[in-house]
Amino acid sequence: MPYLSLLIFIPVVTALVALLIPARYTRAFPWLTIGVNTLQVILFAMMILNYNLDAGLQLQEKHSWISLSLNNWGRLQAEYLVAVDGLSFPLVGLSVLIMLIATLSSWNVSKSRKGYFTLLLILNGAIIGSFCALDFLLFYVFFEFMLLPMFFLIGIWGGPKREYASIKFFLYTLLGSIFILIVMIGLYLSVQLPESSTEVVHTFNVLHMQNLQNLIPGSVLDSAKTGSWRLWAFALLFIGFAIKLPAVPFHTWLPDAHVEAPTAISIILAALLLKIGGYGILRFVYPVFPDGAVYFSDWVAGIGVVSIIYGALNALASKDLKRLIAYSSVSHMGFVLLGIASATTEGIAGVVYQMVSHGIISAMLFLIAGVLYDRTHDRLIENYSGLASQMKHYTVFVLIAFFASLGLPGFSGFIGEVLIFFGAFQSQSLNNLVPLWMPIVATLGLLLGAAYYLWTIQRMFFGPFSVRANFAELNDLTSREYAMLLPLAIAALLFGILPQILLDYINPFAEVFTNTWFSFGINANP
Amino acid sequence: MSNSTTILLITLLIPVVSAGIAFSVKEKYGWFIPIICSLLILSAAIAILFPLFSDPQLTEQFSKTWLSIDNTKISVGILSTSITRLMAAVVLFVSAMVHIFSIGYMADEKNTDRYFGFLGVFTFAMLGLVYSTNLLITFCFWELLGFCSYRLIAHAQQKTIAAQAATKAFLITKTGDIGFLIGLLILWVQSGTLEFTYVSTTSDAWTTTAGVFIFLGVVGKSAQFPLFNWLPDAMQGPTPVSALIHAATMVAAGIFVLVQLVPVFTPDTLWVMTWVGITSALMGAVGAWLVTDIKKILAYSTISQLGFMILALGLGEVSGAFTHLLHHAFFKAGLFLAAGSIIHVMHQATHQANVDVQDIRNLGSLRKQMPITFIGFAICAAALAGIPGTTGYLSKELVLTAVHNKNLWWLELVVWTIAFATPLYIFRLLWFAFLKPATHELKVNEAPWIMRIPVVLLAAGSITFLFRSGHLSSFATQLLQTEIEIPTNIMIMSLLVTGVSLLTACLSRNLSPRSSEFLIQNFLDVFNLSIVRLTVFTGSLTSSFDKKWIDRSIHTLAYGKVALAHLTGWADRNIVDGSVHGVAWLARGFGGITRSVVNGKIQSYLLWAMAGLLIFIIWMLN
Repeated sequence: MPYLSLLIFIPVVTALVALLIPARYTRAFPWLTIGVNTLQVILFAMMILNYNLDAGLQLQEKHSWISLSLNNWGRLQAEYLVAVDGLSFPLVGLSVLIMLIATLSSWNVSKSRKGYFTLLLILNGAIIGSFCALDFLLFYVFFEFMLLPMFFLIGIWGGPKREYASIKFFLYTLLGSIFILIVMIGLYLSVQLPESSTEVVHTFNVLHMQNLQNLIPGSVLDSAKTGSWRLWAFALLFIGFAIKLPAVPFHTWLPDAHVEAPTAISIILAALLLKIGGYGILRFVYPVFPDGAVYFSDWVAGIGVVSIIYGALNALASKDLKRLIAYSSVSHMGFVLLGIASATTEGIAGVVYQMVSHGIISAMLFLIAGVLYDRTHDRLIENYSGLASQMKHYTVFVLIAFFASLGLPGFSGFIGEVLIFFGAFQSQSLNNLVPLWMPIVATLGLLLGAAYYLWTIQRMFFGPFSVRANFAELNDLTSREYAMLLPLAIAALLFGILPQILLDYINPFAEVFTNTWFSFGINANP
Repeated sequence: MSNSTTILLITLLIPVVSAGIAFSVKEKYGWFIPIICSLLILSAAIAILFPLFSDPQLTEQFSKTWLSIDNTKISVGILSTSITRLMAAVVLFVSAMVHIFSIGYMADEKNTDRYFGFLGVFTFAMLGLVYSTNLLITFCFWELLGFCSYRLIAHAQQKTIAAQAATKAFLITKTGDIGFLIGLLILWVQSGTLEFTYVSTTSDAWTTTAGVFIFLGVVGKSAQFPLFNWLPDAMQGPTPVSALIHAATMVAAGIFVLVQLVPVFTPDTLWVMTWVGITSALMGAVGAWLVTDIKKILAYSTISQLGFMILALGLGEVSGAFTHLLHHAFFKAGLFLAAGSIIHVMHQATHQANVDVQDIRNLGSLRKQMPITFIGFAICAAALAGIPGTTGYLSKELVLTAVHNKNLWWLELVVWTIAFATPLYIFRLLWFAFLKPATHELKVNEAPWIMRIPVVLLAAGSITFLFRSGHLSSFATQLLQTEIEIPTNIMIMSLLVTGVSLLTACLSRNLSPRSSEFLIQNFLDVFNLSIVRLTVFTGSLTSSFDKKWIDRSIHTLAYGKVALAHLTGWADRNIVDGSVHGVAWLARGFGGITRSVVNGKIQSYLLWAMAGLLIFIIWMLN
């Protein structure tokens, strides 16, 4: 069964079907979407049963897509190639879960439902497609396809400053995609199919790009050349994905987009779209340009550490709850860069773990912000006090989400961060990529994380009750909100207490990453 | 897994069950929570006696892999040695006493579900830390302890001051925890494992660094200089919680981890520990003398006593320090619970009047009104002061002997000073609360029996008994089979110092204490506040940097692009279009001329044709 294609194209096809339904049947669209989400969950459950922990890439589907003879220029070849491994499988699972929750949280969208849910479905397919595609051109198509629905979802269904936010988001990300495009073309010109005999077959296959022996001698990104071009390509590709991550100083689209986006879109943005950045670095940047990774390792780790501290400081200064959460995302994604820079097995496994964990926890955080915003239409921290006495169950989830996010052991966030620290601390003695002082400085981020969350709890939830905003009723959680928060809380707890159930999937990838692709690259380029 | 380890595992799980019940029982049946939770913890405390008394020498380890990547393996399990079993027994016993006491103390309070729930988690976290086989797991439970204390200190969450105290406690201990994390990571890089049984290091600079960082965690958790000012503030929590924090869980965790790790520490690390211990012991004693709040006096006394233990550990006197930790757990829990009784009954007597019942100057002559609490308090106070016949005396002598053997005169001086200062402040507390004629005319009743029993039991555990061999011993020295041989000169000196101290206390008993914490608390608060302010200020700086520089440069870029677009737009309109228009205009001009020519009249065509023909003929003729 072509699981991955079904996962990717069921939402896309449903989106086309949804377009045929007249807009006046407003109830049909959320039900249709949730039907797709449920189907995806079932499909993913079946994938888990069929997943072989010992194998690497699997559930592969390969079809020829573009094959064009260019006479003297060789042959252009792009494939429809999708597969999952220890990196993408957890992220696909995360996407399926988050999209379900995003649909649930969009249940009360009133403005132009047809357009909203259609765009959500297209986004769904594009995100999963990006995580599965192993052909660079295919990935790029999916990657670009995410932008458009996102642009409209923020720009039409967003808050007061939605136009500014959506255009900023779009332009930032587009800049990143242009960088990616440039490098993609360079790679296409430099990589050939290994089995090609007479004519040169240029390929977009990432697996071939990861093998330096497939580089065409004398081409622009040939590794034998003392490679300033390769370093440039690394830098461009890295920045392309770092914008998506986002890393300081390419991050300012994130707070605006988050603050203006509706709750469901904030969830998708934080939980999934940011992960494309980390995923891209792990899938494309590092394995294809290991020499650049070694050369720039200080920079990558440095940007990570700066993001951790800088994001946390900004979160501390935020007056808006959503902005605070957005900056905390910047801080947490800094750990991803730190772990990647270490290029150790523990660090890489920690990065994948951190991405999954941040997906779960940040979704919770934005749901929490949304719960409050739905009731009062105000997100300013200073306008609230003593909410714990009025919204008891809500406060329980707030505490779970905040403490999970600040890295309390027992929640998934701790495992990811501690594994990244394991990797970063041993990097200096193991492969000398990350100097020891960097992770030591990064630990300050944990302290700052505790500071901004606890300060928020103290100001908003403890103390005597008062709310300075207009609201009809300040009810505790509804059953729909329960249904969204509870699975996420359970997942955060489960992955925090029993890390091995997720690490069993991730470990093979982390080992292949460090032992094969990465060391292969280092050895080939002394 | 052997029987005794199974029992330990059960004792670990019982508090979880207790917490689970507390969190899940409906509010309607809230009365049921305190009783069932207390019974559960009490049963665990009894259950652990079986492995405790069965075979003191037994050392077992049961562990399973919890996390494994490549060569990194972290295991969870149960380490069963005489030390862990005894510690766990004390934790469970004190926790059970606190639970039982809370039945009375929290009888009129709301939110007992949350209270007993987190007491359960707190106990579980401490037991997990005690049983842990791996330093990373220790760290996990260590953090969990911090979270539970945060939640319990902020139990009265509507009170802003309680919430602030909780935040402060969490952040200051977290500062230490960061050090712990760094330390254990360095240790891991150096030795490749974090299992207690395998961790071994050479004494190089890295090990010293790791040790000092880990010790920083202890400094935070055990409220040592300079990270101790969260502890007096933490008195905002309910008093039984303070008893638990001070006796068996939070602060004890720091000392316990040191007891396990001291063997891998280098001499330099130990030296740092000694100094921090000395400073804290002295500052704590001074602080206890300066404050008037009954709970704060006990809090500072804890800082002082823990400093004393750390000083002993720094000198390598592990068994003395550990014994003192266990003894301290009993008498400090007793003191706190007795203080809780006082506060409880005084609150009832004053009917919420605007009297600070925690200020010892407002208390007095409670001896007659609360005789049993008085006896319990007095025994525990004697143990704290180190008066012969109590457990505190024994462990103090152990440490004093160790110090004496170091042959450092100034160190001995310091230790004797602490020995002198301790009876001074605790006797004054006893005097003000129980003996001194009261300033008020309140009718105070003795605390209910459910609150008296724990105090009495804890006091009973603080008395030494004569063992067969004729040696004085306590429960702890008996079970640990500690050799207690106190040199006669130390014994005499110790008695002398304690006697003089008590005499001084007696003579100066009416000296009204100053209500000033300025020297210690305020100084550190200012210090902390300035760090907090600095951090928040940096945050606002980076935030404005974000807006002013990063965003502005992007806006500038965007505006530049738009300006460029306008420019090209203008060029498009005026130059490109202009030239096109120009061409078009020209064409139109010509077109106009030709159009005027092509006007559709046959005659004019004929005329033009004629003219053309004429011109052609003329040209041909030339």
